[in-house]
Amino acid sequence: MRLKRWLLLAPLLLTVFLLQSYFWVPTYEKQATGNPKRLVTYIEGSIGDAKVLNPILNADSASSNIVGHVFEGLLDLDENLNLRGRLATKWTISEKTYLFVSPANRFPDGTEVTGPRLANRIRSALQRDSFSALAENVKGMEVVPSTSLTQKIPIQEKGEDGKPKRGEVEIAFNMPERVAFSLHQVDQDFFKRLMPVIGDRYLKNFPYEQFVQFPDGINPEIKMQIQVQLPEFFPVAEHNPIIDFYLRKGVRFHDGHEFDAGDVKFTYEAIMNPNNLSPRTSDFEPIKFVKILDSHHVQVVYKRLFSPAINAWMMGILPEHLLNNNAMQQEMERRELSDAAREAFGMRDSQFNRHPVGSGSYRFVEWQSDEFIHLERFETYWEGPAEYHDFFMRIIPDFFTQEVEFHAGAVDDYSAQPHQVARYKQDAQYQNFSSLGFGYTYIGYNNRRPLFADPEVRRALGMAINVEEFIKYLLYGEGERITGPYPKNTQWNDPSIAPLPYDPEGAKALLMELGWTPNADGWLEKDGKVFEFNLITNNGNPIRKNIMIIAQNAWKKIGVKCNTQVFEWAVFLKDFVNTAQFDAVVLGWSMGVDPDLFQLWHSSEAGPQQLNFVGYNNSKADDLIVRIRQEYDVDRQREMAHQLHQQIHEDQPYTFLYAPLETKVLDKKIVLVYRGEDGKETYEKIYPTKTGNISLYFNKWRKLEMNPNF
Amino acid sequence: MAKARNESELLSLLHELGTSAGRNFLAIDFLLVQKNMLAYIGRNIALRVVLLFIVSVLIHGLIHLAPGEPSAVDPSNPRMKPQDIAKIRAAFHLDDPLYLQYVYWVRDLARGELKSFKDNQPVLGKIWRRFLNSLPLFICSTLIVWTLAFPVGIHAAIRRGAVFDRASTLVAYALISFPGFFLSYIMILGVVEVFHVPVIGLRTFGMEGATGVFQFMDRVWHLVLPSLLGALGGIAILSRYVRSQMLEVVSQDYVRTAKAKGLHQDVVIYRHALRNALLPFITMFGLLIPGLVGGSVIFETIFAWPGLGLLGYEAILSRDFPVILTLNVFGAMLTLIGTLISDVLYGVADPRIRLE
Repeated sequence: MRLKRWLLLAPLLLTVFLLQSYFWVPTYEKQATGNPKRLVTYIEGSIGDAKVLNPILNADSASSNIVGHVFEGLLDLDENLNLRGRLATKWTISEKTYLFVSPANRFPDGTEVTGPRLANRIRSALQRDSFSALAENVKGMEVVPSTSLTQKIPIQEKGEDGKPKRGEVEIAFNMPERVAFSLHQVDQDFFKRLMPVIGDRYLKNFPYEQFVQFPDGINPEIKMQIQVQLPEFFPVAEHNPIIDFYLRKGVRFHDGHEFDAGDVKFTYEAIMNPNNLSPRTSDFEPIKFVKILDSHHVQVVYKRLFSPAINAWMMGILPEHLLNNNAMQQEMERRELSDAAREAFGMRDSQFNRHPVGSGSYRFVEWQSDEFIHLERFETYWEGPAEYHDFFMRIIPDFFTQEVEFHAGAVDDYSAQPHQVARYKQDAQYQNFSSLGFGYTYIGYNNRRPLFADPEVRRALGMAINVEEFIKYLLYGEGERITGPYPKNTQWNDPSIAPLPYDPEGAKALLMELGWTPNADGWLEKDGKVFEFNLITNNGNPIRKNIMIIAQNAWKKIGVKCNTQVFEWAVFLKDFVNTAQFDAVVLGWSMGVDPDLFQLWHSSEAGPQQLNFVGYNNSKADDLIVRIRQEYDVDRQREMAHQLHQQIHEDQPYTFLYAPLETKVLDKKIVLVYRGEDGKETYEKIYPTKTGNISLYFNKWRKLEMNPNF
Repeated sequence: MAKARNESELLSLLHELGTSAGRNFLAIDFLLVQKNMLAYIGRNIALRVVLLFIVSVLIHGLIHLAPGEPSAVDPSNPRMKPQDIAKIRAAFHLDDPLYLQYVYWVRDLARGELKSFKDNQPVLGKIWRRFLNSLPLFICSTLIVWTLAFPVGIHAAIRRGAVFDRASTLVAYALISFPGFFLSYIMILGVVEVFHVPVIGLRTFGMEGATGVFQFMDRVWHLVLPSLLGALGGIAILSRYVRSQMLEVVSQDYVRTAKAKGLHQDVVIYRHALRNALLPFITMFGLLIPGLVGGSVIFETIFAWPGLGLLGYEAILSRDFPVILTLNVFGAMLTLIGTLISDVLYGVADPRIRLE
């Protein structure tokens, strides 16, 4: 029977065909010997695919990883997290300040205030000994005549459907005469120091209504909204910090075009262009304008004091010639877009985001969605070409599979989980690293709830928890205790602050002092109410879930009743966190390198959808937070950051738990390669920097054929 | 004698009918119903278009009912200000009424300018590329299912109650109840530990320099595990189905007649019984097609296979509405096409079914 034979043969043939393919596939050993190129190819495993390969648009970690190799910023961070010049060789920070000539004021002797008089008074005051420090900082002084200008002020109005709607109103403002000061260094207290000359009340009560013209027929309610904002848009005393960047000469983009000041200005403008919907506008919003002084000198002038703003310049610089209006027009022509599509066309729609051209150490080659992104080293990179010739980011959306591929040699690096790292510690073939990152995990209490209003209660709850247990059993030792809001590896963290002791008895005693007494069932009770609350977190994070269970158990031991619940992320945010409808949460933050904690801890940021959702409110902390972000002197910043750390530690708005260590496992054959003048290579073991960064010197990494001996 | 001759004549007539039944009926019937059929198909396509519209509206509503926002407007990103988010929401039409959003979706889709929220790339291009990736996996795994399930099922049916039958039943139930992802992990671990070859993804990395045959075979090797694991459940179910169909047909009168006529066992089984047992599988074949979209989410995720399943999964995680919606409608379309094809084929193959 032919049919019968075919029915039996078909599966057999298919199986044989499929299985024989095994013999064509290189094994781990053969891959290394038969394919020398593999040694200069670095393959990194990534859970998710990149989204947008454009430094001003990306917001996810996979994209930033690739963008970090392809693009380069003006600055980056060195071994000690200090700023280091990249595309900029040098930068200086100075300041220009402006003081309104306020007609509503009179000098202490009763004379009327005018521009020249004000300038003269200050000038003569600066001659005095008591102002010598201030005088030293003043480079120059002039009177700026009055001008008139228009300004768009954002407002909120009621839409037709009754919901609040955002809008803008254009107003005309007659800028009065101003005295302008050029300062060598930024001084946030400059005007305070001038108070003895201009009078204590000079900065207040400026008669804005005499200088502003509203559009006709404006709604009085909106007029109120604008009036409130006027001091913000036109401050009586204005600080304009200035950064001068001197750019590196001879740097080229991957297509050969030379990098210059125009690219820096263009990158800034592209971010601020509303058509491009950049998620980084808030980083660059403090900038007043960017001015090109010559082809390799850019001046950035800021609207107000905001010292972390300089960090934004670590962002990659875009090539103007490939993305300016002209280039965009050409792309639209080429793609034959409809008129509607042309109207909405922004940088987000450009194919550039899938074929980026930057000036970084690697150039883009190919991107296969959800499969890999291939980069190749940029031979004429200004710092010399990288050791690895090819860089692949492979997308493997599963932790276990990543490890298997690592094991098969098809991936050099992947995001190893703590329990996986524990396994590799025994294996002589691998080197592993654990280092501090910028994240931490905490239990946050809703400070607004009467139950948690007392810092002593929060302290007692923290003392009942044994954090060492979390680190040992949940993180396999890959974590460190923390005491406050700053990453431990930054200078802002005060290492002298001791963590809360683990002392359940002490915790119970503290609560009993506050009037809580155990009832018949063993729960603590006060005024007939049991100490009971809900602890929640998001699902999808098993460690957080386990933290809840352990904490629940620890609190039960001191008589505190805690109920736990897990919610889907979107629901968790929408129904609980954003609306502050929770008792306590287990969550984590990933911090930046700057000491600015405004969004997380300032009391003005405790509204709906804002990040101070626990409602921390301490005027001393508020003051410090504001002064830190206005301070440009690192030593003074550090001093204040330590005070802030101390304050938050005392208030215990969170129980700060631990900072997870970032772990990395690499083949031992991957080393740092140094080339001597004579071209001879020396090797060094890869080491994490003091701040925990392992791949800072990635461009010097390479895989050797044999295991090296150090 | 006369009576006996009559019977043998009848038998031979039946025999002839049996052998040529399919072919003859098919030819005659096809000519007769051809005109009817075209009308039937036309009517059905129209009906299905209406159905597709309803389905797309339902999916559109469902997606927006689910909690969560596209990741681009995720308010948990502390860098973004409410004004920026408002701008992005406006660009995505997220604040417009639902029916308008639907209209925008249809308009952009028709123009071919529908963009993903995630990376602003054209959705149709994305789906097409992923479709090409999913296709070999789908074909390979379907081939494995259909070529393996039939011999196993038939054999089990013929030797009902024998060791092979019991063993295959046990294995089939084990495969049906065993979670596929777990089996995948075990297989991956086993293969990597024992053979030291990569198994994840479309191909091995660093093979760009190899000759065409090597690259092709490497791709085939990477197909083996995911398609086999994806097929296991199918083999188990289909072989059970084949077995029960065969059992049913084998007990029919005409099979007994064929046996009584003294035909060889193989002829009885493969010519007389199998053909009739095959009929219900035409329906199954049509229903296979939509499996292209959703059938392999788990295996594509585990094996990092950049196909349609993974695309959909990622799109759901980042609430990429245009991609989710288009992909679902694409799936619905494939289902409708599949049922149409199987309806038509069924009518062609089985004259007892009237197409009206």
